[in-house]
Amino acid sequence: MSELATLARPYAQAVFKRAVETDSIEKWSEQLFFISEVMSDHEIKSLVINPKVNIDKTLGLVLDICQDYVDQEARTFIKLLFENKRLSLMPSILSLFESLKSEHGGYIHADVLTAYDLSVEALDNLSNSLALALGKKIHINVILDKSLIGGVLIRAGDIIIDGSIRGQLQQMQKTLQ
Amino acid sequence: MQLNPSEISDLIKKKIENFELSSQAHTEGTVVSVSDGIVRVHGLSDAMQGEMLEFPGNTFGMALNLERDSVGVVILGAYQHISEGDTVKCTGRILEVPVGEALLGRVVDALGNPIDGKGAIETTETSPIEKIAPGVIARQSVDQPVQLGLKSIDAMIPVGRGQRELIIGDRQTGKTAIAIDAIINQKGTGIKCIYVAIGQKRSSIANVVRKLEEHGAMGHTIIVAASASESAAMQFIAPYTGCSMGEFFRDQGEDALIIYDDLTKQAWAYRQVSLLLRRPPGREAYPGDVFYLHSRLLERASRINAAEVERLTNGRVKNKTGSLTALPIIETQGGDVSAFVPTNVISITDGQIFLESNLFNSGIRPAVNAGLSVSRVGGAAQTKIIKKLGGGTRLDLAQYRELAAFAQFASDLDESTRKQIERGQRVTELMKQNQYSPMSVAEMSVSLFAANEGFLDEVEVNKVLAFEAALHLYMKSEYTDLMDRINATGDFSNEIKQEMQVAIETFMKTHSW
Ligand SMILES: Nc1ncnc2c1ncn2[C@@H]1O[C@H](COP(=O)(O)OP(=O)(O)OP(=O)(O)O)[C@@H](O)[C@H]1O
Ligand SMILES: [Mg+2]
Repeated sequence: MSELATLARPYAQAVFKRAVETDSIEKWSEQLFFISEVMSDHEIKSLVINPKVNIDKTLGLVLDICQDYVDQEARTFIKLLFENKRLSLMPSILSLFESLKSEHGGYIHADVLTAYDLSVEALDNLSNSLALALGKKIHINVILDKSLIGGVLIRAGDIIIDGSIRGQLQQMQKTLQ
Repeated sequence: MQLNPSEISDLIKKKIENFELSSQAHTEGTVVSVSDGIVRVHGLSDAMQGEMLEFPGNTFGMALNLERDSVGVVILGAYQHISEGDTVKCTGRILEVPVGEALLGRVVDALGNPIDGKGAIETTETSPIEKIAPGVIARQSVDQPVQLGLKSIDAMIPVGRGQRELIIGDRQTGKTAIAIDAIINQKGTGIKCIYVAIGQKRSSIANVVRKLEEHGAMGHTIIVAASASESAAMQFIAPYTGCSMGEFFRDQGEDALIIYDDLTKQAWAYRQVSLLLRRPPGREAYPGDVFYLHSRLLERASRINAAEVERLTNGRVKNKTGSLTALPIIETQGGDVSAFVPTNVISITDGQIFLESNLFNSGIRPAVNAGLSVSRVGGAAQTKIIKKLGGGTRLDLAQYRELAAFAQFASDLDESTRKQIERGQRVTELMKQNQYSPMSVAEMSVSLFAANEGFLDEVEVNKVLAFEAALHLYMKSEYTDLMDRINATGDFSNEIKQEMQVAIETFMKTHSW
């Protein structure tokens, strides 16, 4: 996983720079998402790694599928990945691209895990205080997780803020040990 | 201490009452791969070099490689239960171990946990295992001796408090024996000892503990054990753990002696960890920083001045210097001191005691090669009387070595040459000493005096040790006062010289051996 990120970084950076130059960040984001979905398809995957299938044929097939969804530059990008045999990096490239995108826009993604549904008001409050604490705009993604018992757990990048009952019970378990 | 169930529940209640709830932010990563005690963790972008990382199951690891997308971690202890996808937390702390007086008499592992079955260690103080050595301003030059109790070493290769003296030799040449005798001889001197066993058989470590107990030397000794069956990470950190425990005494204005047995095995353990972390291998496949591995460890053994002790104890201890003396041990292969690790450590230390297997096998034990052994700073610290009397010994042995080679070819030798050879043979014999029988300064002085003044020349070579034993017995019973005086001051005056002369003359006339 970490090695994949290292390999994928130059591709993601190149694509992102190009996207900024041509002012098409959103468009590239959608295109990369599409390509990544195609490449994670089971049958395409098995075609790619099958040595009996001619690479050019697979490439033709992939380009054919993408035809209506990607522009000329994205097609060149797919060809490049085929040539360098780096197709498996597509999901990593996408996630790196997304993090570059949020960095560029000055916001970060935060997963908020909660045991119960949060009211709109509570969410607003949460995102405001998070924005203050992290000094960035926040894109919140709410995930329901009953195993927390109560409270919320926030995950923004590497940072975890655990305010859940489960986390507190775990802390207590440790002090009693 | 026995607790009944209601007391236990009270205790738990109290703990829960005092338990503070907090939702702190921490950074988390995920385990990507696990192999041979090395774990690669994705995330943790702000982990520090050497930081403790927490794994599930109360397991800790140390961050060693900080890379762009991952962190390379060595697990301290068992790692079988860690699997891909486990979460890893930063603790924000560097690895710490318990230190203090309470550790004396105990056997602990590389993390400072007791392994001698004598219960928990009652100490609240801890200290990080990696510390920067004292600076130039804080230091004081070495001028007090550490008596190892071995004639051949105290007379010719003296060790001072705060010195780093290497013990180097092939396998089975009596390296450990010197270290153990040194510890036994510190009984009652106030010097605290730390013996760090790295990569040794458990049975050897148990043997050392038993021998120290038998000779009443465990009371002033801490044993840090990372046996061969423990992970490479534990063997790699054990010397640093022991060093922190020794520094505690140094910083209190006391004196301590630490023995690393041996640093070759530590370098092997570090090489293993480094290769598994995929650091580039260099000479003999060691990573680029093995020199630093040992230099930063041995630099911490030092003597610090009274001002520094006062500063470190916040004015509690005044007018006392502190010292940590190190005796690192290095094992060579076939006497080759030019291999990578031996040359490194020789260049770091303030001298070396070189042990030779052919000397050992020909019965000269301790098998010290007086020609190749040196002490670069100990001379200034040597007890006066030993310095005075021991100077001749070195010369006698050096001349003997030269002549002995030459005499093999010449059949008839002139009188003075023959005398020098005879003297050399006797001094060589006199330098032999049994294990577990360290000598006091007075005993040593008597032996050296007898050799210097030519009394030994009248004794047959194979009777030298018997003569010495009888002489010591006689001196201890008939000249108790003189012996006590020498032990107390360590001075050598004309008066003492006269008394010794008379004593040995009477002994020679009235006793047999
Ligand atoms: N001065 C001595 N007199 C008699 N025997 C000795 C003396 N010194 C060491 N020995 C014996 O020699 C053997 C080897 O000694 P020791 O274990 O100290 O060597 P070592 O160099 O530490 O060996 P290793 O390489 O295995 O660590 C032991 O059995 C010990 O009892
Ligand atoms: Mg040994």
